[in-house]
Amino acid sequence: MAHLVLGYPSLAESLHTAEAYINAGVEILEVQIPFSHPTADGPVITLACQEAVAQGISMQDCIEAIRALRARFPMQEIMVMSYVNRIYAYGFQRFVTEMKAEGVQHLIVPDLPVDLSSALGSADATVKFVPVLAANTSDARLEKLLNMGFDFFYLMSDFKITGSGFSLHPRLQAIVAKIKSRPMPPRIGIGFGISTPAQARLVLEEADVAIIGSALIQAQKAGKLEEYLESLQDVFQA
Amino acid sequence: MIMDLTATRYRDLILDSKGGFGTPNPQPYGGSYIPEVLLPGLQEIAAAFDHFKYDAGFLADFSDTLRTFSGRPTAFTPLPRLTEAIGGAQIFLKNEGLNHTGAHKITHCIGQILLAQRLGKQRIIAETGAGQHGYATAAVCARFGLDCTVYMGKKDYERQRPNVYWMELLGTKVVAVEEGSQTLNDAVIAAFKDWVANPDSYYLLGSAVGPHPYPAMNTFFQKIVGEEIRQQCEETTGRLPDYCVACVGGGSNAMGMFFDFLDEETVQLIGVEAGGRGTKPGEHAAKVKRGKKGIFEGYHSYFLQDEDGNIAATHSVSAGLDYCGVSPILAFLADEGRVQFETASDEAALAAVKKLAQLEGIIPALESAHAFAYAFELAAELPKDKIVVVNASGRGEKDLFITMRHFQEDSLIAYAQHLLQK
Ligand SMILES: Cc1ncc(COP(=O)(O)O)c(C=O)c1O
Repeated sequence: MAHLVLGYPSLAESLHTAEAYINAGVEILEVQIPFSHPTADGPVITLACQEAVAQGISMQDCIEAIRALRARFPMQEIMVMSYVNRIYAYGFQRFVTEMKAEGVQHLIVPDLPVDLSSALGSADATVKFVPVLAANTSDARLEKLLNMGFDFFYLMSDFKITGSGFSLHPRLQAIVAKIKSRPMPPRIGIGFGISTPAQARLVLEEADVAIIGSALIQAQKAGKLEEYLESLQDVFQA
Repeated sequence: MIMDLTATRYRDLILDSKGGFGTPNPQPYGGSYIPEVLLPGLQEIAAAFDHFKYDAGFLADFSDTLRTFSGRPTAFTPLPRLTEAIGGAQIFLKNEGLNHTGAHKITHCIGQILLAQRLGKQRIIAETGAGQHGYATAAVCARFGLDCTVYMGKKDYERQRPNVYWMELLGTKVVAVEEGSQTLNDAVIAAFKDWVANPDSYYLLGSAVGPHPYPAMNTFFQKIVGEEIRQQCEETTGRLPDYCVACVGGGSNAMGMFFDFLDEETVQLIGVEAGGRGTKPGEHAAKVKRGKKGIFEGYHSYFLQDEDGNIAATHSVSAGLDYCGVSPILAFLADEGRVQFETASDEAALAAVKKLAQLEGIIPALESAHAFAYAFELAAELPKDKIVVVNASGRGEKDLFITMRHFQEDSLIAYAQHLLQK
């Protein structure tokens, strides 16, 4: 799964980046709605968000960008990430309806506990929220979330913000095992700090999906996106 | 999370709320909007607070530390010369600036450090705006032997330099946050990020904002201010105040002053926000007056933001009021009409510092000066038998270089040159 910030460095260029990811063979495209204060992201994504916000990227712009991607790539799996206040300002139900119309099946809202997603008016079962868990999630909490029908679990590789070095917390294995012990196990993605193909391969020994974010933005900044995507080829084939 | 609004006692509603304030529309104010990784830490603190707020040993420890370390009770001071100069209601001041480290902030720091200690925590994280909360946190950490890291926006780091020095002298690590607008908001985010990376640390949040249990917990610790005012005002005047006026940054000093009077219908409660230098976005920090509802930094309340839900820049001459959000409890009380909100400009606050200094010999913090600026206007319109109490949440020494630039810029420059020559 490859992440980008819509509107960074411009709306048109972020669409090109998305195409480059898809053409390189990423399984899931993750697009982030830019927010002025991304409270759970590291410096690379924070800066990208702030540059996008400075251009005045509206929610409507983001939705249209997703629509354009959907038109070109009807079968591509797309996840949308947004901080809660941008959705709140737009209207929860309205946002979820738009996402459904564009065939987006998963929303990642890092500052919204998934239990609250329905309380805020997004009861639509076809658009599912993605719990983002870390190694300190209790067994009881994991059990509760597993019983709530989420079909994709995003695990933080370790206690860190995005883009700050790679390590895999020893307790992740137990969490993965518990999720996989389900009769129809949800998919599992692991992210935060993955930058090299070797790290991605290591993650894929545990999870279904390796999530790369900041490293892609950095490669793009350095003008080396093509090369970087190329280096990940065997990961995409895996 | 849903409150029982058939009960009429605000005090019970707030302390028993479990973090939700008001009716769902679509959710009550407050709540706990945080990344899942912070959930265990917050639940641990919430459970400890629920337990210890009724624990006689804890409460005795708390009041003992307030007395022996911070110097409570603080003075309740009649302001006769000011009252006469204004020519209206009688004005009194609650001098929270007499607390150790110079502001009300130390009260919730003492409460929280005692809690952190009982939870066996070794490391404390905090954010600070004016530096008062950071300074108080640094002091209690030194006092109780805990490791401390304080985040401070770079702009605040530079404009409240004396407090940076005090924190460092107390053994705290102060980190200047270079992101965003480099003020309190950015410091809060940096502190949360530290907590994500170090979930075993204790985040000692400094106002009545943030996710549950901070708004209710800091209100609980700060309510001693209103309790003392009730007793002192009765002793001094034979009755309760007619008006209580406090400045509002996040809302901890205001909730501290207001809480005990919430169910007294005759006492009017007024929160004064930073009017800054104008009413356009980025020129002020008046979230209840000019913000709209949002969810940010863990809680649902009023925030200064644009149409798209991006958080707006704020401005105030006082670092402690220069923040985009406000206590969810105050948002609820504002909607209820129980707390009235007003603003005071940068200029009015500076003028109030001078007036209080020269007529009563008390130099208030720039934050508190906003409450005085509005209270002076209010008192002028009221008959002489009315009683107005103003919360002097802090003393003005920390603002030395800001007020001096306004009042005596030449002396400031001369002094700076003198220091450089050495
Ligand atoms: C003296 C003083 N008063 C008021 C405030 C504003 O905070 P609150 O609204 O939480 O009392 C601060 C914050 O730094 C402060 O230092």
